[in-house]
Amino acid sequence: MDFSHYAPLWGEALLTVLAVLIVLLGSLMKNSGKLMGYLSAAGLIAALGLVGSNLMIAKPTLFFFDTISVDALSQFFKVVFLVVSLLVVIASLSKYTGKGADEYFALLLFATVGMMVVASSIDLITLFVGFELASLSTYALAAFDKSRKNLEAAMKYFIFGSVSSAFMLFGFSLLYGMAGSTKLTVIASATIANFGPAALIALLFVIAGFAFKMALVPFHMWAPDTYEGAPPLVSAMLAAGSKKMGFAAAFRVLLVALMALRMEWYLAFAILAAITMTLGNLAACWQNNVRRILAYSSIAQAGYIAIGFVVVGKAYGLAPTTAFNGIPISPAQLGLAGALLLILGHALMKTGAFIGTAQVASMVSKNDANDPDDISNYAGLVSRAPVTALCMLIFMFALAGIPPTAGYFGKFVLFSSAIYSGLVWLAVLAILNSALSLVYYLRIISYMFLKEPAGPKMAEPKGYVVALVLTTIAVLYIGLFPQAFFDWAVQAAAVLLPQ
Amino acid sequence: MYADYAYLIVGLPVLAFLLCLFVGSRLPRGGGFLTVLATFAGLVLSLGIFSEMYPDKIIHQSMPWFANFNVGILIDPLALVMLLMVTFVVTLIHTYANGYMNGDPGSSRYFAEAALFTAAMLGLIYADNLLQLFIFWELVGLCSYLLIGFWYRKPSAAAAAKKAFLTTRVGDVLFMAGIILLYNNLASLNIALKPGEYLLQFPVIYAHLTQIPPAQLTLIALGLLGGAVGKSGQFPLHVWLPDAMEGPTTVSAMIHAATMVTAGVYLVARMFPLFYAAPYGLTAVAAVGAFTALFAATMGLTAFDIKRVLAFSTVSQLGFMMAGLGTGAAVGTMAVGVAMFHLIGHSFFKALLFLCSGSVIHAVNTNDMREMGGVGKYMKWTMYTMLIGSLSLAGFPLFTGFFSKDEIIVIAYEYGVAINFLPYIFLVLAAVLTAIYTFRMWFTVFTGKERSDYAKHESPSIMIIPLVILAIFAFGFGIAAQGGFYSYLDSNFGHYDVNFNELAVIGGHAAEETKLAGEPAAEPLASEAGEGAKAESKAEPAEPWYIQILPIIVALGGILTASLFYWDKVKKFDPSLVTGDKDPLRKLLLKGYYQHEIMTAWFAETIVYGSALICNVIDIKLVDGWLNWLSALVMGFAQHVRKVQSGVVQNYITALVLGVVVLVVVITMAKEVGLI
Repeated sequence: MDFSHYAPLWGEALLTVLAVLIVLLGSLMKNSGKLMGYLSAAGLIAALGLVGSNLMIAKPTLFFFDTISVDALSQFFKVVFLVVSLLVVIASLSKYTGKGADEYFALLLFATVGMMVVASSIDLITLFVGFELASLSTYALAAFDKSRKNLEAAMKYFIFGSVSSAFMLFGFSLLYGMAGSTKLTVIASATIANFGPAALIALLFVIAGFAFKMALVPFHMWAPDTYEGAPPLVSAMLAAGSKKMGFAAAFRVLLVALMALRMEWYLAFAILAAITMTLGNLAACWQNNVRRILAYSSIAQAGYIAIGFVVVGKAYGLAPTTAFNGIPISPAQLGLAGALLLILGHALMKTGAFIGTAQVASMVSKNDANDPDDISNYAGLVSRAPVTALCMLIFMFALAGIPPTAGYFGKFVLFSSAIYSGLVWLAVLAILNSALSLVYYLRIISYMFLKEPAGPKMAEPKGYVVALVLTTIAVLYIGLFPQAFFDWAVQAAAVLLPQ
Repeated sequence: MYADYAYLIVGLPVLAFLLCLFVGSRLPRGGGFLTVLATFAGLVLSLGIFSEMYPDKIIHQSMPWFANFNVGILIDPLALVMLLMVTFVVTLIHTYANGYMNGDPGSSRYFAEAALFTAAMLGLIYADNLLQLFIFWELVGLCSYLLIGFWYRKPSAAAAAKKAFLTTRVGDVLFMAGIILLYNNLASLNIALKPGEYLLQFPVIYAHLTQIPPAQLTLIALGLLGGAVGKSGQFPLHVWLPDAMEGPTTVSAMIHAATMVTAGVYLVARMFPLFYAAPYGLTAVAAVGAFTALFAATMGLTAFDIKRVLAFSTVSQLGFMMAGLGTGAAVGTMAVGVAMFHLIGHSFFKALLFLCSGSVIHAVNTNDMREMGGVGKYMKWTMYTMLIGSLSLAGFPLFTGFFSKDEIIVIAYEYGVAINFLPYIFLVLAAVLTAIYTFRMWFTVFTGKERSDYAKHESPSIMIIPLVILAIFAFGFGIAAQGGFYSYLDSNFGHYDVNFNELAVIGGHAAEETKLAGEPAAEPLASEAGEGAKAESKAEPAEPWYIQILPIIVALGGILTASLFYWDKVKKFDPSLVTGDKDPLRKLLLKGYYQHEIMTAWFAETIVYGSALICNVIDIKLVDGWLNWLSALVMGFAQHVRKVQSGVVQNYITALVLGVVVLVVVITMAKEVGLI
């Protein structure tokens, strides 16, 4: 049998095999944590290479009875997931070395595979399977350190996630009932809009299911608790990786299968985006726990990214109005590309920020019984842990959207697409929100740089430092040389919105 | 070959910045040698590039950045002379700083910031487009903030840094407005750009000036002038410069004499075709420059702080340069050469003067000239090098300042013939005062009795050697370079697709030039079409002989006057003869025209107080009230959420279900109403 046909999916295959292998090896060997970590990192780098070798696929390649599509969009998301996963694994090398580390890395790899499957799915059942694979792995990860807080976080995450899955599945079954197929393209041609209220219910149930992962208000309530309570590196995975899976799924389902209902989801996302970014930013101002601040900031960022849906729904079909570097781009394409850029940027910044909190927590928890994530632990961080503090500074600026960082560029493209498509009110609201978000980002910065140090200089574990520095370089590189990333995002957007 | 490495001119100082920042504290002298080496390498590269492109080549490299912008390097004669000057002077200043900052606990921070500043300034100079120039411009501003406030624990230093940052910010906002206006105008022309061309690149701007409406050109020019006024310390945004002397003296020499403040003049020179095409553009430049030159010189007369005297002198000399550029309305591109010549010459002797004053301050431990006196007995090297700098600044014949400043006065006369004599009169008066205040300073510091007990020793040789090198240039640069310099810079705009004849019509200079050409012995000045055939202004007998020698008389007269008042050997008059301590004029000058009272104490405080009052009402009553209400709401909400979190996850699910229900209702209603 010739497997070369499946070359574009070797990345997923490699990680699946590796994860199973790690479970097997882990049960045979004792104290193999370090080895498992390095194996996972190597596997992720290899998978990144395999995915990267098929980065710019002009025409989607379909597999498994047309349920999996490998195209520029799927590869974009896969790179995001793999990079996040890799950074988390590198940071984990300093933390998960002992007993049980094999399970941790295996779960991390399974979650990554699940997300990659979602990125490629063009069939509701495949999508659901990938979604659940990622979700179940992360439920277990959220409780991994087995502290009281972990368990509470995981429990809430699990219950909320199960209900959301039920909603999503119900929406899927309605779609199947109406279209007679689970394939996105078939659903698209089945004139779903003619089914009246049932179509609306199906749409909103599907949105609710995805919005749980995206953490849009009011489907976000698990997020602050879980991000705060889960092990910090798992929070990084949740906020930077699995959240983006929700967007990957929603882009595929809404823009392919449910394009006919775009006025409905345009309005739904307009409301959700406006509420989410405002509430997320307001809530973040009142927190004292840094991880909780980051959780609310991540909710607010999801609100910004959701502007992409609003723009596409509003401006779909409009002629190209702007020319970037001589190539005409329609507002809808620009909106989707902007959302993708912000997804890429946010994945990096949030991973970095959560790894930073993990670093601080690991340093202070040894000699401090208090809440390790309390903002008072960040006082004078620059003289206690200079590398962490400098990297965190970059992440905070990037999250606030200050140039030249990845966060700025994504926001710039996304907000300008909103203006081009006539959504000035939304762009203004988003910019006001960005200004508001400075309140809590600067608060963290002022703690790190202006306050008297809360304690003596601390040793910075190597794994964390490597992950932090790599992330910082990536965030700055995208901000300084955005053109290549912009072209890439436009190409990925063109998969769903051909001009 | 050298041109391929042009990016290293900025790259190496950036590297030095990173090294000093991260490992500087572990290196000897805070890693200062890295900064010196990086800048020196830039000097060597610049010289190599000079040898490659002289006499008639330019270097232009560019790569796409994102969207409609690029990053690029453009080295033409204008940029090249600036590159050479900055790398040369700054290398010497960094060398000197290795001695001056030795032992300062923050010396690695100093060298890191100084290296970043050097990189920013050099990047500004050879940027090939206006946006990149602006980015480096802002970076220069940031570095000046950091360096002025270097001793940030000193409240006056922190305040001066803040003042400099905020004042230049006013100019920068205008600058940015100018850039946006220019971009919009160019974008609306729908220019068919060739590959590798971008809208804000200087060659593209030059080539399309004629298509922009004149009124827009004037607005753009005024915006850019605003930026230049802020950065080059011109009236009324000059207030930050004297205060900026709170930084280490090397910072004053580097930023506030030789390099950063020249950025504004450089911007006007760089955008000269635009200013030329804009009606009233150059008139505004000439007016601002000439007024500032005289205004600042009068304040230099009464200051007691040696560095403040030099600071006022810098403001005044920058005014000369601006006025020189402004006279381009009458004499065309020749003005660029003349102004740039003064800029380069001035950076040599002003850096020298600042470093000398630093040497004195290092020994005497005060900035106050009233506590110095007789220093010359112990600091021979410093005294004589400073004498050379002072003679040059005063415009003593054969010194650099004589050639450069007097040329500005001469073309100001031509401007007077063609348009208006006011700038000329202002500049001549300013030149007299320059000679007086310079020698008032020199005599007060180095001659006479010791007026306080200070350390009586010469500075270390690492500080003296740069002084001597700078002194050689402060003396000899004028004689050596003047002829070639003018013709080289005159060729600058010949490299571009820019038609000065057409621009002259738009800018309304055509009439003025006929007027000049009508003068009996006038050179064919209207021939500025960039053919490079312009004769050196030295050879132009356009002015009567008394105009030609007036600057010499002015300089000598000024020095003589100063010696009669302040040199103990020939002292004939007491300063109080002219103006007593109670004299209102003296008080006016000493108080710097009450600018502090007017601009800071009155204007700024009225605004601050007024806005505070408004804030009080709006903020506390309205915003806070609203926020309190909102926070109460959110907190109340959070309280509820907290109750939920005590174990009942049902409420989360309720919110989820409620969310779906509300969306269903809202969307159905919106469809009923016809919203979507």
